[in-house]
Amino acid sequence: MAATALCWALRAVQQVLPSPCPRQVRSYYVDWRMLRDVKRRKMAYEHADERLRINAIRKNSILPKELQEVADKEIAALPRDSCPVRIRNRCVLTSRPRGVKRRWRVSRIVFRHFADHAQMSGVQRAMW
Amino acid sequence: STSSGLSKDKDKSAASEDSTCEGAAKKQEDGAETPKQKLLNIIGNMKVEVTYRKKLQQLKASESEKQAVKKLEDLDSEGSVPQGITEDTQRGKPLNPELVKAASAVASSLPRNKKQTESELLAQLRRHEETTDKQKKGGTINIRNVISEMTVKRQSPAQRGARISGRISLQLDEDGQRRRRERSSAQSVDSRSLKVGKRLNIFTKASTEPEHALKTVSSPTIWDLEFAKEVAAVTAQPPRNGFEEMIQWTKEGILWEFPIDNEVGMEDDAEFHEHIFLEKHLEGFPKEGPIRHFMELVICGLSKNPYLSVKQKVEHIEWFQNYFEEKKELLQEI
Repeated sequence: MAATALCWALRAVQQVLPSPCPRQVRSYYVDWRMLRDVKRRKMAYEHADERLRINAIRKNSILPKELQEVADKEIAALPRDSCPVRIRNRCVLTSRPRGVKRRWRVSRIVFRHFADHAQMSGVQRAMW
Repeated sequence: STSSGLSKDKDKSAASEDSTCEGAAKKQEDGAETPKQKLLNIIGNMKVEVTYRKKLQQLKASESEKQAVKKLEDLDSEGSVPQGITEDTQRGKPLNPELVKAASAVASSLPRNKKQTESELLAQLRRHEETTDKQKKGGTINIRNVISEMTVKRQSPAQRGARISGRISLQLDEDGQRRRRERSSAQSVDSRSLKVGKRLNIFTKASTEPEHALKTVSSPTIWDLEFAKEVAAVTAQPPRNGFEEMIQWTKEGILWEFPIDNEVGMEDDAEFHEHIFLEKHLEGFPKEGPIRHFMELVICGLSKNPYLSVKQKVEHIEWFQNYFEEKKELLQEI
């Protein structure tokens, strides 16, 4: 369920499907912040290997310190958006940065809305 | 029991006379034996591959012998042999003379009317020859005759295709027009104008089809692709139920295929030893020193990683190699 929602949300830049069957296709991202978050995720994916290797050299007690200092400078020279720390798990449907449940990737308000309409699989109102 | 045994022999020899040409020659050599023993010799010494020249020489050498023997045993059979030969020449298709002689020997061995049996055997031989020649030429006339004799209960494929296309378009038409179409299709079935009757086999079909198929496959133009896309878009009806929706989603890649295969997209053909024993990639590094120590730790970690493919691991090691080569000057200062 979460996977399908994410797929629909991230199809913003692609064309509308040529098949005639009517389906909700997202043509835009919710807001610019969501777009920037998408860019950061792509950059982080591209530079992930390099960052891993350079960090392996840095966080080391075997190699000489001079080498590690050089590695420090190298990793700082990489583009700022390539680090995974800058990614924020926003709500997929409303782009809300806070109150997002990780399993469903939606904010708490959207989650409540769908769950009350019985559109969340296996989610029920708690009563005990 | 003797007569049944003889009939069995006759059947065997009649059926396998194409392959027992040599048997006939052998039989001719044993001129002094009875025809029954000759038959048994034929069946017992069945060989397939003998050159025709040998057979001819044997024939010419033993012809006179055989004729003498025949004169001694049966006058009728000798009379029937030249009859059979003349009949063959009249038909225009001369049978193998050895086959003829074998047939005559078989006929002579039987107690009944020898002329009749001989003529029947020769007729069977002729039929065999005809069928083999037809099959060699590729003539499928007999099959067509058989099929034309069979009653056609179902619609012909052309009519069936017309009905299906009619149905697809009929969804938009009104009820009156639908009934009209059904009547006309029924009438076309009843009238039987073009599709019934024996074929004349004037035109050859089969040779041209594979050439056309090859031509179309080799050059799919852009227009063909666009046309195919259009057709697919038009014929893609919205899903009628949940199952068809799920099928469509699976085709598009939205839905995974069940039962879930954990290794979809992961085609790592490498064996386990290529994942674990990565020391052979460490040849570019110095054998002592902190770098070697570091790289051994790297390799230990990579060998325990089940998520990477061998390619990715090798890329890691190569990157480190390049990195340390660039920093060689720095390292030498230290």
